[in-house]
Amino acid sequence: MTDTILLVEDNADDEKLTLRALQMNNTLNPVIIARDGAEALELLLGTEAQPFGLVLLDLRLPKVHGLTVLQRMRADPRTRLTPVVILTSSKEEADLVSGYAMGVNSYIRKPVDFHRFTEAVAKVGMYWLMLNEVPPPMSAPALAAAQP
Amino acid sequence: MKNGSILLVEDNPDDEKLTLRALKKNNIANPVKVARDGQEALDYLFDDNQPLPAVVLLDLRLPKVSGLEVLKRMRADPVRKLVPVVILTSSKEESDLTNGYALGTNSYIRKPVDFEQFSETVRHLGMYWLVLNEAPPVGALEKA
Amino acid sequence: MQTYPTRPQAAPLALNVPLEQQLRERTAELEAARAELVDFAYSISHDLRAPLRSIVGFAKVIEEDYADRVDAEGRDALHRVRAAARKMAEQLDDMLKLSRVSRSELTREPVDLGDLAREIATELEAAAPRPGVVFDIAPGLVGWGDRRLLALLLQNLLGNAWKFTSAHASARIEIGVTSAAGEPAYFVRDDGAGFDMADARRLFNPFQRLHGTAEFPGTGIGLAIVRRIVQRHGGRVWAEGALEKGATFYFTLPGARIETQAPVREAALT
Repeated sequence: MTDTILLVEDNADDEKLTLRALQMNNTLNPVIIARDGAEALELLLGTEAQPFGLVLLDLRLPKVHGLTVLQRMRADPRTRLTPVVILTSSKEEADLVSGYAMGVNSYIRKPVDFHRFTEAVAKVGMYWLMLNEVPPPMSAPALAAAQP
Repeated sequence: MKNGSILLVEDNPDDEKLTLRALKKNNIANPVKVARDGQEALDYLFDDNQPLPAVVLLDLRLPKVSGLEVLKRMRADPVRKLVPVVILTSSKEESDLTNGYALGTNSYIRKPVDFEQFSETVRHLGMYWLVLNEAPPVGALEKA
Repeated sequence: MQTYPTRPQAAPLALNVPLEQQLRERTAELEAARAELVDFAYSISHDLRAPLRSIVGFAKVIEEDYADRVDAEGRDALHRVRAAARKMAEQLDDMLKLSRVSRSELTREPVDLGDLAREIATELEAAAPRPGVVFDIAPGLVGWGDRRLLALLLQNLLGNAWKFTSAHASARIEIGVTSAAGEPAYFVRDDGAGFDMADARRLFNPFQRLHGTAEFPGTGIGLAIVRRIVQRHGGRVWAEGALEKGATFYFTLPGARIETQAPVREAALT
């Protein structure tokens, strides 16, 4: 898997803050931005899809809802194991439950405070890109064998 | 600091002690339940009188029931399926990594051999899963 | 230009059938025993690391939580415990490295040893520049073997040459090919610390060191790895040296018919 991050975020300010936060760890990971759910699906599963090392997924997106993006990702072998972190301002319990039910790796509620927000994103980046063991490539035979 | 608990599934008593110490030293005061083999872990997780943990730190090499089997059974249950699991193992086997992710672990961490790094890792795990991450709501889980 | 003869095939004799079968069986047994030993070395070096974590961890617990009850002598004792644990961890890592060489698959192909040597030289120079060191790499140096293992072999030999010339301001590290007992022998030569020929046989044993760690760091696994790699290729490895007059390490890589353009060089030390 590559170390490219896909940031799915429609809010321009949040996008800026997130990018800054990701750079805080000196991680030189390239970041690609999708500004709505359809764009995200295109980048993840479209004709010119590329593998991502981490997807930061907002929920309330234009065109296609974040949960649908997640659902489609988990249904496709190419993205079934890609680490996804929901990064949302939603306070809906239903979103939280659905996120986990659909196989999100982690769910973060965007802190309102701008410093906390930056800190949170930096920690998310550090955890998934440096600490966590990268999932195996999808060609691994055990993957096919262990289909749920 | 959120209130979730940790379920630490670890059969090595030294690692258990060092893990608990690392959490304490980093002011992570959340309750920790320790299960020393796979069966104990399952008994706890499927006991409806016990609250579900905010995260399960799961070793793989366990007596009685293996870590992967615990994970499998969790994921087969509509409620336990939602509980975040972090595999924390010294195994270097690729097959464990593959099977762990295939069976639905949220995260996979290799236990550092070096003690200092081990402490650091436990600290990061605690901070991430107990403070930063939103665990699935226990209330909603009971209803699910 | 050198060409290497392929191994002559023995004509099978009907009389030898039971012997051949015995030989096959014996070889299979030997192979199984070897594989078991390798797996054992691997799992033991892996499994021993966990208790090491405990040793270091609990030594720290004493140091941190009982600081007021531990005097200077006690602290010294604890430091030694941790240093020993660290050393053991290093040696276990080295054993793991060595056993990985035995476990790994071997794929043979022509390998440009000169290219590998140049890459390694560049890395060594980048990590710790020493303007007085000259690398003399013979052109057209090609060997037949597993690229990854040969790279590891050269890393160890060149790394050693680099290390054992570090006490001198200027040094010459040479890599080329010569002839020994009718077959090509590659060599890596340096003009550094050298060694006493009386120790020549011990050199390749794991953890065998002829110098103290204060003089030159390391646990002494490099040459054991070199020997294992050469053995896996069916070759021989040996060394010549003199104290403070440098060392030359030779190795052969028997096998297919390949042509090396490298001019054959003098084997003797000047």
